[in-house]
Amino acid sequence: MNCLICDAVTPEPVSWRTLFCRDPTPDVCGRCMGKFERITGPVCPHCGKASDGLCGDCAMWETSGYAGVVSGGRSLYTYNEAMRQFLHRYKFLQDAALAEVFSAELRKALKGEAIVPIPMNDKRLRERTFPQVDRLLDAARLPYRHYLTKRDSVQGKKTREERIAAPVLFTWNGEPVPARVTVVDDLYTTGATMRHAAHVLREAGAEEVRVFALIRG
Amino acid sequence: MDEIEAFLTGRIWLRDHTPFQKEDIDTRINDGRIRTIPGITGRQCARCREKDPRLIAEFACSRCGKNCFYCRHCLNMGRVSSCTELITWANPSSSGGHLHSFVWNGTLTAAQQKASDELLASFHKKEDHLIYAVCGAGKTELLFPPIFDALATGKRVCLAAPRTDVVLELAPRLKAAFPDTVIHALYGGAPKEAGFAQLILATTHQLYRFEDAFDVMIVDEADAFPYTADKTLQRAVQKAKKQGAPVAYVTATPSRKLLRSIKNQSHIFRRYHGHPLPEPVYRPLWNYRKAFRKGRVPPKLKSWVEDNAARGRPFLLFLPTVELIDETIPYFQAIHPGIRAVHAEDPDRKENVLKLRRGEIPGLVTSTILERGITIRNVQVAVVGADEAIFTPSALIQIAGRVGRAADCPAGDVVLFHNGISRRMDEVRHLIRSYNKGGAPS
Repeated sequence: MNCLICDAVTPEPVSWRTLFCRDPTPDVCGRCMGKFERITGPVCPHCGKASDGLCGDCAMWETSGYAGVVSGGRSLYTYNEAMRQFLHRYKFLQDAALAEVFSAELRKALKGEAIVPIPMNDKRLRERTFPQVDRLLDAARLPYRHYLTKRDSVQGKKTREERIAAPVLFTWNGEPVPARVTVVDDLYTTGATMRHAAHVLREAGAEEVRVFALIRG
Repeated sequence: MDEIEAFLTGRIWLRDHTPFQKEDIDTRINDGRIRTIPGITGRQCARCREKDPRLIAEFACSRCGKNCFYCRHCLNMGRVSSCTELITWANPSSSGGHLHSFVWNGTLTAAQQKASDELLASFHKKEDHLIYAVCGAGKTELLFPPIFDALATGKRVCLAAPRTDVVLELAPRLKAAFPDTVIHALYGGAPKEAGFAQLILATTHQLYRFEDAFDVMIVDEADAFPYTADKTLQRAVQKAKKQGAPVAYVTATPSRKLLRSIKNQSHIFRRYHGHPLPEPVYRPLWNYRKAFRKGRVPPKLKSWVEDNAARGRPFLLFLPTVELIDETIPYFQAIHPGIRAVHAEDPDRKENVLKLRRGEIPGLVTSTILERGITIRNVQVAVVGADEAIFTPSALIQIAGRVGRAADCPAGDVVLFHNGISRRMDEVRHLIRSYNKGGAPS
């Protein structure tokens, strides 16, 4: 088995368990996986960032027009150097195979929830050649459903003030939305994307919108 | 020749990632001056020729709506997939007619001269050639006359080396020797250079981006990782040169395969300054890992480090793993705070080697990454765990080859600290002794 990230061969230890149980083999070696940093300790209840109580970003959203749209949320990893390189290779170098890297962690964290992935607009999707959030969920064998479509605008280069004041990024596709949903994105930076998605889902009938990000920037 | 032709002649490049205007590329594709090539054919990458199914990955492509394959092997150069196109200049014109000059005021030793003449003869016959020469024999200089001959007769020449460090070291020397020649140095992250380069200096990786380009191909350090380990890189050398163009392999540690398969060979077992190669000395360091785990440097190793630091002799200390370097560097810094660690992923690698050369720090603790290409006057070397498998015979020969390269300091320490003498260590000592006796190794 070669590591998906460093391509090093990891020896597979043989034990009674490996002989008799069909555990999924890990796709990433321990050394590479160890470079990612899980968020631990007290976290912000809205976004999952390491924080005592509500973090600064979320506190600010609670004073805006988006107050109360997010009922709660979690994130798994910090945005450290190893994660920056991972995302660069997955999204910008388009190494679609890397969708497998966090499959076990995502499955454990999201199993049983009504998942709404953050969508991409058509132009971006053609450029990237694959929908990055959907593929993470597919790799984790998690079912999901799209209720949102993304308008044509690029989030990346805006300042935080511009993001908060920006018009809503998504539109509802008209399908009935379950009462409790979890919006999933790869990277949570300021929370604008998540707030906009939650806002639209609430308008469309969701009673409780939780957010989940693989990475909290 | 316009800039686009100069760039794309002999190159195979992603259509969507050229440094030119899209319209200018499209016009030349439409009138047939640029040829397009599908990125993946028959589950093989057209750029790096990778075909290992593990590295040619499949995914549902949102651009073309089909299942596409893409190459994970050369991904860092921009992704090649089934629905991406590569482009190349369709009908390369000959690049002759340019005047070259050769400025070099050194002289070759008799042995260098002989090897140089033999290489030139092989190039004229369009036959492969092996230069088997010990570290410090002056391999680079003896390449100059055959390179000049090829350039002067309008040939395009490539000098490839597996590592960026070697390319960076060679570039200024070649540019000084051939001041009127357009020379490009290519490596990951290299600045883009203009014009048509008749002499290309490149890492073997960069050869993925060439096809049918060179009339003469020279592979320096042909034994070095990753070239030896990676079949794709070996294919890249064959792909980058024109059909029938000769390849010269230059190395201090040829594989048996190279020695057997190449008819024309030149051997130089004496350094340019005529002094013998320093012989490795074995010193046992029993259970050194245990000592390190307890947070101390074994006494014999400690005194070697202290002694060199005290006498102001720069040293390189090779350790078998990066983890061990990370773990032990604080203990070495307790002996002397100036000691630095250098390994492959280290951003300060170049800077720390420079500091050692300038005498600002006493020594470096390093991995096999520094085994070759670096020359530091009066350097002393030691290997910890010389019996570990990572220290192959060629790695140990290269490590020993760092010592005594300058004519005024032709000797120095090559200490192999070990936990039991390995066959590899014996093989290396035997080889070095036989070189010093002037005989071919047996």
